Amino acid sequence: MIEEPPSEVRVQFRDELDGVVREITRLAAHVTEAIPRGTQALLDGDLQTAQAMIDHDDVIDDLSIEIEERCYKILTLQAPVASDLRAIIAAIRLVAEIERSADLMVNVCKGTRRIYPTELPPPVRGLLQQMSEQATKLFTMCMDAYLEQDASLAAALDDIDDRLDDLHADFIQTVLEWGSDEGDIQPAVQLALIGRYYERIGDHAVNIGERVRYMVDGWLPEHAGSARVHATRPVWSDVEAAGGPDV
Amino acid sequence: MSRESAIALAAGIPTAIWLLTLLVWWRSRRRIRSQAHNAAARLSDSPLAEVRGLEKTIGQLEREVDDAVTKGGDASAAETRLVHAISAIDDGIVLLDDAGEIVFRNRPAEHFLGARHGEAIVESSIEDLAARALSGERVKQNVELFGPPRRMLVVSAEPLDDGRRGIGALVVIEDVTERQRVDAVRRDFVANISHELKTPVGGIGVLAETLLGEDDLDIIGRLAARMHHEAMRASRTIDDLLELSRIEAGEASLRDPVPVHLVLAEAVERSANAAEQRGITLDLVEPSRRLTLLGDRRQLVSAVFNLLDNAIKYSADGSSVVVSASTDGPSVQLSVADRGVGIPRRDLERIFERFYRVDRARSRDTGGTGLGLAIVRHVVSNHGGEVRVDSREGEGTTFTLVMPAGPGPVAVATPEAG
Repeated sequence: MIEEPPSEVRVQFRDELDGVVREITRLAAHVTEAIPRGTQALLDGDLQTAQAMIDHDDVIDDLSIEIEERCYKILTLQAPVASDLRAIIAAIRLVAEIERSADLMVNVCKGTRRIYPTELPPPVRGLLQQMSEQATKLFTMCMDAYLEQDASLAAALDDIDDRLDDLHADFIQTVLEWGSDEGDIQPAVQLALIGRYYERIGDHAVNIGERVRYMVDGWLPEHAGSARVHATRPVWSDVEAAGGPDV
Repeated sequence: MSRESAIALAAGIPTAIWLLTLLVWWRSRRRIRSQAHNAAARLSDSPLAEVRGLEKTIGQLEREVDDAVTKGGDASAAETRLVHAISAIDDGIVLLDDAGEIVFRNRPAEHFLGARHGEAIVESSIEDLAARALSGERVKQNVELFGPPRRMLVVSAEPLDDGRRGIGALVVIEDVTERQRVDAVRRDFVANISHELKTPVGGIGVLAETLLGEDDLDIIGRLAARMHHEAMRASRTIDDLLELSRIEAGEASLRDPVPVHLVLAEAVERSANAAEQRGITLDLVEPSRRLTLLGDRRQLVSAVFNLLDNAIKYSADGSSVVVSASTDGPSVQLSVADRGVGIPRRDLERIFERFYRVDRARSRDTGGTGLGLAIVRHVVSNHGGEVRVDSREGEGTTFTLVMPAGPGPVAVATPEAG
């Protein structure tokens, strides 16, 4: 049996979706580059680079809005269904996750300004470097999962994120000990917040992984919770038979 | 229409269309296209009287087509050679037509098209600059990628024209990472060597001048001690420079089998005093006495001693440094591991440069010359090996020298003092 060639509408949809995927790849590239760059600025106390990164966030915001609008246009004009619809919805959610991750790196840069010119001790510097590497790795992997539509890799991100959570816990302890030794808690508080930003970037990467799973096979973490709610909620006819609900 | 002319039409029109297509495809000369168009026009009119004339025209067209195909083949071979030549260039090259479509890209450029992660930014830059070049601008942009590996790329684009109108744009992607690294090494070397040699000499001059006008014996004593300190610092730098130049010149020196355990023991013995002053324990994990290296014993001891010296300087008082050796058969690994301050990631690739300082203030306080790791690298390079470094700030550093193993157990001589 000869397979029919895809219709013109279908070809147009695939082209537009490819364009969205390409733009999301570029948006995410800004984050994967921002994590090590922002970390280096923090470790060097490089206020110029920190400011440049804060300014660059406008470009990322602009690109995010542009991609979202492209998605809405596709939804309106093409009215996709099934996996095509999931792909567009996943793209919209991904843009929000990526944009928020970029904002977190902006927060790291603002933190760099707040702690300047405090000299960071080697254990703190080492843990910051490790958290940065782990966050970059997670972000790179979640984008690989998206581009290759690899649900298995996407599912593994949650476990991989545990390493970043452990580093974050070590970091908080090290920073607070250092702060109490120094007698000035203010830089330690700022550093604790900065550590939290890296940890949150890891969480966003995990969220992206969940959206990839949704795109590939329709799975969502909320579905498990929703199933539990449905399993425990009484069916209305049962309630009526028992004399109506208690008010 | 007669039967004869109908047959002529049926045979002639497809032939003419085929010839036209072929001619356009080979981008032949205007004369051929013009004749083909005339032939097609006459065939469409199809009067019988012109059929013989058309046959003649088609015959002429066929000869022209043969000629064009031959020339096209030559052009195709030339194009293939050109594509191979351009692909051999390290810089990425992208050629766009006047509609903005990519008509050619060489292999290095392909790497960036459809890229992901940081390299997607390069692709974005190529597109942006190409669009501006198509509107007549000559533009250039630096793209720094943190990677890893960290890279600096320069993307430039310029419009192409045939003298009358724009026919497209050319984008070139150049990787300037290595050039920038070499520039930084050269710039820092000149600045650092000036500082290392001029500072102690200048210090001695100023101290001597102060000493001349001083009568207080207590102050004179302090100034003399300071002068001695500066003189020793200059002396250490000169000694290390001489040592480095000796090692650099010693590439073809005689190679003997050297027992590894003696190299480690001698280096540990030389470092023992400095370690003791700081309360640092030197843990020597005794290797097999059968383990040997083929090389210059003095150089090898110097390399391990320099690693130990560094480990002691950058470890906390009372900590420990582990020295060990192992083998996987063809090679021997000598390791020096500390739990000191560690080396920042961005400095890891530069620490083997002469006079390079990770932390200038701290390094000079410790009395280092800035040449120790340069000596280590040269020794290992002379022995056909490599230095590996694994470090985390706040956790410590492990240097591993990987060198070809020697022939086996050797008669052990007592190590020379010093």
